[in-house]
Amino acid sequence: MSDNDSHRTDGSGELEGSARKRSKRFETLDERAVTEDGFVNEWPEVGFVAMESPNDPEPSVTVEDGTIVEMDGKERAEFDFLDRFIADYALDVEKAEEAVAIDSESFARDLVDINVPREEIVELSTAMTPAKLCEVVNQLDTAEIIMAMKKMRTRKNPGNQCHVTSVDDNVAQIAADAAEAALRGFYEAENTVGVARMAPLTALAQQIGAQCGRGGVITQCAVEEATELELGMRGMTGYAETVSVYGTEDVFKDGDDTPWSKAFLASGYASRGLKMRYTSGAGAELNMGQAEGKSMLYLESRCVLVTKGCGVQGLQNGGISCIAIPTSVPGGVKEVAAENLITMLADLEVASGNDQTFTHSDKRRTARMMPQFLAGTDFIFSGYSAVPNYDNMFAGSTFDSSDFDEYNVMQRDLQVEGGTNPVDEETVIEHRERAVRALQVVFDELGFPPITEEEVEAAIYADGSKDMPDRSIADDIQAAEEMMDENVTGADVVRILAKNGFDEIAENFLGMLKGRVAGDYIQTSAVFEGDGDFDVVSAVNNPNDYQGPGTGHRLEGEEWEKKKDLRFATDPEDI
Amino acid sequence: MAQAQQQKRSLQLTEKGVAEEGTDTDEVVISISAGFNEMKDETLAGEKHADVLREMMAGLEEEGVTARVVRFYDNLDLGVIGLEGARLSGSGISIGIQTRGTTLIHQEDLVPLNNLELFPQAPLIDLETFRAIGKNAALYAKGDTPEPVPVANDPMARPKYQALAALWHIKEMQHKDESKEPTEMEVSFE
Repeated sequence: MSDNDSHRTDGSGELEGSARKRSKRFETLDERAVTEDGFVNEWPEVGFVAMESPNDPEPSVTVEDGTIVEMDGKERAEFDFLDRFIADYALDVEKAEEAVAIDSESFARDLVDINVPREEIVELSTAMTPAKLCEVVNQLDTAEIIMAMKKMRTRKNPGNQCHVTSVDDNVAQIAADAAEAALRGFYEAENTVGVARMAPLTALAQQIGAQCGRGGVITQCAVEEATELELGMRGMTGYAETVSVYGTEDVFKDGDDTPWSKAFLASGYASRGLKMRYTSGAGAELNMGQAEGKSMLYLESRCVLVTKGCGVQGLQNGGISCIAIPTSVPGGVKEVAAENLITMLADLEVASGNDQTFTHSDKRRTARMMPQFLAGTDFIFSGYSAVPNYDNMFAGSTFDSSDFDEYNVMQRDLQVEGGTNPVDEETVIEHRERAVRALQVVFDELGFPPITEEEVEAAIYADGSKDMPDRSIADDIQAAEEMMDENVTGADVVRILAKNGFDEIAENFLGMLKGRVAGDYIQTSAVFEGDGDFDVVSAVNNPNDYQGPGTGHRLEGEEWEKKKDLRFATDPEDI
Repeated sequence: MAQAQQQKRSLQLTEKGVAEEGTDTDEVVISISAGFNEMKDETLAGEKHADVLREMMAGLEEEGVTARVVRFYDNLDLGVIGLEGARLSGSGISIGIQTRGTTLIHQEDLVPLNNLELFPQAPLIDLETFRAIGKNAALYAKGDTPEPVPVANDPMARPKYQALAALWHIKEMQHKDESKEPTEMEVSFE
């Protein structure tokens, strides 16, 4: 702290000038939640800039004998391992020179031109270099990004993913919340843990709950990679998304990884019939101080293409765990929408963020999700917290269970498919009860610490873990270890459920196991319809064919009727 | 000295030369990053580095363990400076701290990204926690297995501090000097 003689310290470490009269207006403004957020002015030299850093390369490509020998201003000899991986595996080399030569502004216009079909765009966009993809997307304003996303999303119908976690890793609560989340319409449910060793039990609880609602909700448990894969192989989960890729070589190396090692891991999932996507997102490289002065969007476009090159079907991006870095600078919220769009241009599934806290302001968190919400993405939230944020073990999501009604009302207000539906209290209670009763039986038969009647009752009616009685984590950890040691698999759980009269959950659980054998749901943007028939809906059998009014996915008919059903609306007939 | 006591405690760190491997099993190395008390004199939580260091040292001393302070210029990675500090420490235990306040307790036979205890949310670490970290490090040094210091979690820490934490980290990188060896520091409080 300086010894500036025009000021004196007030003892709290802040400088105090001569008594300045404050505007009451500004005092009121200072009280607003948004002033608590961290904002930073741009610093392009180190990459503290959302889009268009002066250090971003100009797009270019040269192909000789079917090999990319120069890309984005670098000769092949100067390529770092990301450049090399992208050049060799991610780009359509045959079309690369043509794609890079196209005028970026005119191609950007094609993105928002309803007369240009998606397939035509993809043919060229999948041959574009990272810098070219940025240059194209940089031409768009936010409304145009929304229009482009509407056309470029791979699957025709948008969807949503949720988080189901408990700060106490309470299994009864997790089963009940997964059942409710399934009923509310989420296609995917993601769990993680407070205590790592609890993962087998929380994954099991989530899977039982998720299969008691609609049947076909795909679940994951985000933990250490080897454990995660093993839980999937045993049928306790159905997908994974927490394999991370980065936009600079230094950050990759810090994690002792390369694009090749990530590709190897991805094949571990794919070869066992498990759906998987990668995770990246703006800000990760800056967080490590290794952004090489490049814009967040340019680095993210490299992540997208590394994912493409690995042969992985999709990507979770849009800031994710470093979201408060892009949103601290001008254009940051636009940038996260732009990185979602680049993922679509690479013809990949996108789980579009909106998953982690970045602001104290309710208005800001709502505005941040509008591009993905209005355009519709494969998973608008990745994930929406289906539990109160105090239970959210991903350190809080932008929307949580207390926003369920408001989110449904937004869909009802704007006639937009947001991936959740209104539900009534009685049905929710019924589903929660079925889930936790099923879990109780499974725990009993496996000889795990009993789920007491008191816990069952509490889980049915709980909002969060604060409503649950205490449960010994140490005993559960021991059970989790037994479960792994004794090779308990999904098939064992199905058998127990069927034997004890939980036929529907058993059928649905079995459906998930069969899904892995068939492998259809590892196709791009695949989900199960969720009606218990286990029909896969993906970019392959339900491609997005949006080309303006009257085409693509439209919220109408039965689906629209569901959204209208607000539980606290007045029925004119009642008056 | 009543007047002096009212003033903020200030910290003087003076270089004493290249840090040697310690032999005293009753010592814990506190690894500080290149910009500690240089680039800033407080953590993201607003705790003065003078107080932070004092509390950690007091926590160690309470358990009869001596503190050595070593500054790392060649690396800013907390996992690395923590581990390197542990290797210089006679007890094999170190505390690592970055300017922004991110802290860990490390042990010489672990890998950088594995550690005994990690306090990743710098803005949430108060002086009481720093003292507890010192105490726990001392207990590890004596071969005990203490209950870990409780880690705070606040969903609003990211919105408030994530961008600033990145900015501080990048600024601190300007203090990095890859050619400079880990340096023993003499600590005095005024």
